[in-house]
Amino acid sequence: MAFDTTDVILSLVKIAIVLAMMLQVTPIMAWVERRGSALMQDRPGPNRVGPFGLFQAFADALKFILKEDIIPARAHKWLYTLAPAIGLLPALTTIAVVPWGRPFLLAEREVGGRILFEGGRWFVPVVADVSVGILVVFALASFSVYGITTAGWASNNKYSLFGGIRASAQMISYELALTLAAVSVLLATGSLKLTDVVWHQTGTFVLFDTLRLPAWNVLSPSMWLSFIVFVVAAFAETNRLPFDFAEADAELVAGYHTEYSSMKFALFFMAEYMAMASMSAVIATLYLGGWDIPWYNEPPTFLGFLLSALFFVAKVGFLLFFFVWIRWTIPRLKYDILMRLGWKVFLPMAFVNILLVAGFIAMRWI
Amino acid sequence: MFEYLIFFFFAAVAVIFALVVILHRNPVVGALSLVVSFFALAVMYVLLDAPFMAALQIIVYSGAIMVLFLFVIMLLNLQHEKEPSTRPVQQWLGYLTSSAFAISLVYYLGKYAVMSGALPVPFIADARAIGRRMFEAYIFPFEAVSILLLAAIVGALMLTGRSEQRENTSGEVIR
Repeated sequence: MAFDTTDVILSLVKIAIVLAMMLQVTPIMAWVERRGSALMQDRPGPNRVGPFGLFQAFADALKFILKEDIIPARAHKWLYTLAPAIGLLPALTTIAVVPWGRPFLLAEREVGGRILFEGGRWFVPVVADVSVGILVVFALASFSVYGITTAGWASNNKYSLFGGIRASAQMISYELALTLAAVSVLLATGSLKLTDVVWHQTGTFVLFDTLRLPAWNVLSPSMWLSFIVFVVAAFAETNRLPFDFAEADAELVAGYHTEYSSMKFALFFMAEYMAMASMSAVIATLYLGGWDIPWYNEPPTFLGFLLSALFFVAKVGFLLFFFVWIRWTIPRLKYDILMRLGWKVFLPMAFVNILLVAGFIAMRWI
Repeated sequence: MFEYLIFFFFAAVAVIFALVVILHRNPVVGALSLVVSFFALAVMYVLLDAPFMAALQIIVYSGAIMVLFLFVIMLLNLQHEKEPSTRPVQQWLGYLTSSAFAISLVYYLGKYAVMSGALPVPFIADARAIGRRMFEAYIFPFEAVSILLLAAIVGALMLTGRSEQRENTSGEVIR
């Protein structure tokens, strides 16, 4: 296997950018969550540390590091320590297959006597453009339950165990709806690659001979249903209210991370927000046109890349705010209602949407 | 060279964690080790140029089946780590059958396995090709399997179908 040095360096640059972005998510989202909840409950929220309480995250991080790291006496030490890491891993790696900007051409240039990018080279802003892109997302999403269930079991605490068991039951139920909702998109695209999914959504289409809309999947008359199913299932997969049964503060103390303290708890905290960011990126890619700028044809230059990447970040940012917005608006469901909703409402809805898209394709409407 | 390194590392991981599954007393540790072992197997598929199979391996086995296993283990709360097996006969029968299986496996692998690098037919493993094969050449076995699964679902519903009567008295489904 021969290595192309330029390829390796470009890959490292992409990984560095993506990791840097993902690590910013937690402090920013912690601030947005607190201030957002305060806004919705008509109170000021944390506003003492720095302007608008922006430096609260640093204070929190310092506190996490300085707190005592407790391992309960009867906990399973190995798994108890491993669980936060297992939880963080899928949240951090899902983003690798998501494209985050328009590819652009790196022109050939000479730097210090060496020719870089010989004959021009495309910079494709996705860490790993694998042929099974969306399946990797689902594979990692299904892995995310292990961190929670392992933590719940290894803590040797009844509340924690309940949190872990609930999480696994909930995730199995909603994963089906999530996957089947995405099948509609894949049917229309005809490819599992996420870059293809985005390319398919560039440009515009005319709705009912009157409106010229961007060709985003969410605006397509055949796919808005699967968008709803996907977003709801994404809430369940990331354990956010109204589906936060693994935590359920009012019932289970703090659910699966009741016994965790210090940095181990911080890892769960980070994993939650990173999973949200990954899910938002996937939703944006599948339904909101990824990096596509509506009614605008991005040029294959650095400027086009920058604009499209900014648009992608804006879409992900809006979805992240949407997560917070829902959390402080809708209360937690009852557990049996959650299960009934998953199996009897969202699963059939996803199936209906698959038939709808298949019908549209058969009629050659899309 | 690089591929060999990856292969031997993950082969070792798969074997070691498979051994942990059968040797460790704790069922939860066993289940999680099996997940790691499956993950290592998925890496093998990637090395064999079959990323679709790798993704399915993780989604189906690690993602769905093992989560269910873990769910059941936790729900039953198995804490009898030190309990001796109730019937020694079963234990010896297990040793006997598994060693017979291992011996025959080694024998047939030595006899039929292709040890050269190239495969006799062009290897197709992308989603489109697999889908075409499944719905054109193998449509009958595919449908047979789906009927089998449907029968299993109906059977499971029959076994747990008691909630229908309870629904009338309390006005709510109790599971």
